[in-house]
Amino acid sequence: MSQTDPSTQPRQRLLYLHARTPSVFSDILGYTPIEPIKGFRPEITATEQDWPYNTIHDAIIDGWQIVQFPHLQAPFDDRDLDVVGYEFILQKMEVVSQ
Amino acid sequence: MTTDKQYLLSDADVAKFIVTGYHMVQLDLPSGLNESIAQQLDTLDYNPGDAITDVVPELNQVLEHPATTGVLKSLLGHDYIVQSHRHWHCKQPNSGHMQWHQDSVNRRDTSINRFLGLFYPTDITPDMGPTVIVPGTQFRNAPTDRMATYTNIRGQVPIVVKAGTIAFTHYDLWHGTAANRSEVKRHMIKFLFGRNSPNTAPTWNHDPEALNAPRDWNKKDKAEDANNILTFANPIGVSQSDHYKERQIRRQCWNELMGQTA
Repeated sequence: MSQTDPSTQPRQRLLYLHARTPSVFSDILGYTPIEPIKGFRPEITATEQDWPYNTIHDAIIDGWQIVQFPHLQAPFDDRDLDVVGYEFILQKMEVVSQ
Repeated sequence: MTTDKQYLLSDADVAKFIVTGYHMVQLDLPSGLNESIAQQLDTLDYNPGDAITDVVPELNQVLEHPATTGVLKSLLGHDYIVQSHRHWHCKQPNSGHMQWHQDSVNRRDTSINRFLGLFYPTDITPDMGPTVIVPGTQFRNAPTDRMATYTNIRGQVPIVVKAGTIAFTHYDLWHGTAANRSEVKRHMIKFLFGRNSPNTAPTWNHDPEALNAPRDWNKKDKAEDANNILTFANPIGVSQSDHYKERQIRRQCWNELMGQTA
């Protein structure tokens, strides 16, 4: 069996995007990229946020695919507040250099 | 102990605290005090826990400063409590970030009953691993595990401040820290404050006309009066549904602080 260098194969990049509403056109409130690189960890930063996308739709245009839509089946409560925004998980299969 | 009225908060200050969950003050401490505190912390080789104010007694001047007591009286009443719990958070050079969390268990208080005081004896720069807070999240009933897929959030505020600053933060405000990429230790002393009794009247510099300003649809969240702050402020731009829920909680908080129990 031949050994294949994983860095030459497409690997799964992930984006956790928290949108203002369940619409793909609403603004993004939270941005978390996950790169398929050993040791990679996204970090909370103290610098100005500069995100490449303003909406989920922007990311789709750039080739990202939604692999999980926000869960909306939670019990409805019009008084309590829980997490911030609605979570979309997106992926892009690409060759990513280490 | 009486507090000079100049140190009490204004209506707009109180409204902003209700909305954002934080208020920062740079204390004019005696010359050399911040440096002395920082120097002692730099050389401390164990964490004394609640006894940090015994080990570094100058920290008591932070608690006794009229600008500190002015905030505490304004938001927690004249008989506020300084809890015995306090903690020295020393973020070492080259240490990583800390994920978002709310302290304690997932049972939130939608009143102004307890908050933290985070004191920084040195200037805090962005590379020193500042505490980072998310304004307006203090009323969210969110288990910390549910925050694990968030990293950076629009409108988050790094506590990048001058030496001698104390940041008062609602106990349930979402918070974390950035990584410390600098060569120095980042010191923060955490104090915990509580309410002893419900307000029967406002305890800040209250103007009875405070809520009479008409809604200003042009300034909206740029307005600087209590009524418009409570109505329009949306510090991280949440959805309309969440914003309407926040408005209800804010008004409930305001009424409680005014001594108008439901």
